[in-house]
Amino acid sequence: MYHLALKMLLGDRAKYVMLVGGLTFATMLMTQQSAVFCGLLTWTTSHMRNMRAKLWVVDRKVEQANELKPLRDTDVNRVRSAPGVAWAVPLYITIQSAKLADGNFKPILLVGLDNTTLVGRPPVILQGKLEDVRLPNAIILDELGIKRLSVGRAKPLGLGDTFELNDKEARIVAICRADRHFFGYPYAYSTYTQALQFAPKQRKMLSLVLAEPAPGWTLEQAAASIQSETGMKAYTEEELFWSTIWWYFRNTGIPIAFMSIIILGFIVGTTISGQTFYAFVHENLRHLGALKAMGASNALLARMLLVQSLTVGFLGYGIGALLVTAFGRAVLARGEPPFMMPWQLPAGTFVLVMAICCFSALLGIRKVWKVEPAIVFRG
Amino acid sequence: MSASATTSSPLAVQVRAVTKTFGTGEAAVRALKGVDFTARQGELLMIVGPSGCGKTTLLSVIAGTLNFDGGEIEVFGSSLHAMKPRHVTEFRKRHVGFIFQQFNLIPTLSCVENVSVPLLINGASRREAERRAEAMLDQIGLQGRGHERPTNLSGGQQQRVAIARALVHEPRLVICDEPTSALDKDTGGHIMDLLRDVARHPDRSVIVVTHDNRIFKYADRLTEMEDGRVQRVHDQGGNFEESGGTK
Repeated sequence: MYHLALKMLLGDRAKYVMLVGGLTFATMLMTQQSAVFCGLLTWTTSHMRNMRAKLWVVDRKVEQANELKPLRDTDVNRVRSAPGVAWAVPLYITIQSAKLADGNFKPILLVGLDNTTLVGRPPVILQGKLEDVRLPNAIILDELGIKRLSVGRAKPLGLGDTFELNDKEARIVAICRADRHFFGYPYAYSTYTQALQFAPKQRKMLSLVLAEPAPGWTLEQAAASIQSETGMKAYTEEELFWSTIWWYFRNTGIPIAFMSIIILGFIVGTTISGQTFYAFVHENLRHLGALKAMGASNALLARMLLVQSLTVGFLGYGIGALLVTAFGRAVLARGEPPFMMPWQLPAGTFVLVMAICCFSALLGIRKVWKVEPAIVFRG
Repeated sequence: MSASATTSSPLAVQVRAVTKTFGTGEAAVRALKGVDFTARQGELLMIVGPSGCGKTTLLSVIAGTLNFDGGEIEVFGSSLHAMKPRHVTEFRKRHVGFIFQQFNLIPTLSCVENVSVPLLINGASRREAERRAEAMLDQIGLQGRGHERPTNLSGGQQQRVAIARALVHEPRLVICDEPTSALDKDTGGHIMDLLRDVARHPDRSVIVVTHDNRIFKYADRLTEMEDGRVQRVHDQGGNFEESGGTK
């Protein structure tokens, strides 16, 4: 009977298209918005991927990676002296203005790396050599920075080209790939000493200390030791990641904005699908009544409706997921808007779409359940 | 009226003092007011009467598609009044074939698929059901039309498909609700010829509800209803029996 149920559904082309279309739209809206939301939250933790360290030591009041309170230069030695610390290096992070060829200014995120070890260096060097960052006025710029700062030039910036950074000349010695920052600033790397030259002088310049536990110490033990010895806050990489994510959950309207669109997608999908499927069942009530008169049980009719509903659910979900994947590939190639689709997102959307389908089928089943087979004898 | 089952033929349907009321209180409508009625095996029996007299309600309760309030109904020895709803559904599935006024063919299915429905409901495989459905369509003169949609067929052909659907699982009781009212006189005549042949099966009974006096001649017996009661039953010899005695 199930193949006949499907033929009944496919035969009503308008409703079939409407059902699949509604579920495709709902799938797209829910998955795409969730993926953009995840992508956006991922951007908030770009420091962790671009500087990679096991322990992040910051002022004790710091809650997330993008709001750092300066430390004293001597604090790095205090961390080094804490038991359980293998090594600790200073890191300077600041936002500075780079001047474009056309006179405009663009902010860039300048990272000052420990002169000796270059701990916190960019993850991928595309052109040039990392070690050249130790040369005078040297800077390593990421791809976004090259794109942004090339505006107004005859040809894009390349190795050896210079630009003005906070009234000082900066020379590009390497081009790197870095994860996009939440605020959209390009990453630029220099040595710690050079970075202090580029940035205006402040009383306290050290942004944070990157450290690693000594052999035999776990991350948590080393972090606890640093905290008790120095009074600073020591995060493991994972702790800082989640602390940053939750900070954005608590302190911005971003989750609510995205959640409302995702809920809207669910409601639109449920409404379109539920209403269309109910109308489909209503229009076929006479035929379903005839099947009931011929001895089809309520359970059989319910299963037929479920097959119809879940079929459009699978189709709508499949098309929607494909479209979102295509969207994701396109935006990932461009680098924006943010997009991240872990398997949990399509899986969650699948569960929601199936829930919509079951709800729609339930509306129809309720209707069919109540139908007396004698309806077929009424004119 | 045609040659028919004799009065000695075994009873197919026996209805005793059946009542049915729709609604409650002041809005209540007593559709059946103690109906007594029989149909014999090998017989084509018609139930006739004015609109609202209860004939469709009677047909519905005999077919097991509508619950009744009081009385007893036995169909081929099975007591509908004593059955649980689940068993009534099971009974309909196996033993009752339906022919409806508006054919009730599913327009998005082919004729073969429409005809195969009762077999599929009875658990036949798709291949077996379609094979038997095609054979049944051939039998009623619709060779080669099995894969067309019912909407491509004339009214008479659609009713033939409906008859094929009603007979394909070899039911013992065939219920027909106004089978010719949507057809012209000639087509209606052909359909009734077919139904009369169907009724000739010794282990089957065909009950037809109709308004159409052009087809009364096809009945072995005519049961006249009025105001929720059987008034009289005419047999093929022109004799009739008033409710409660023979004249």
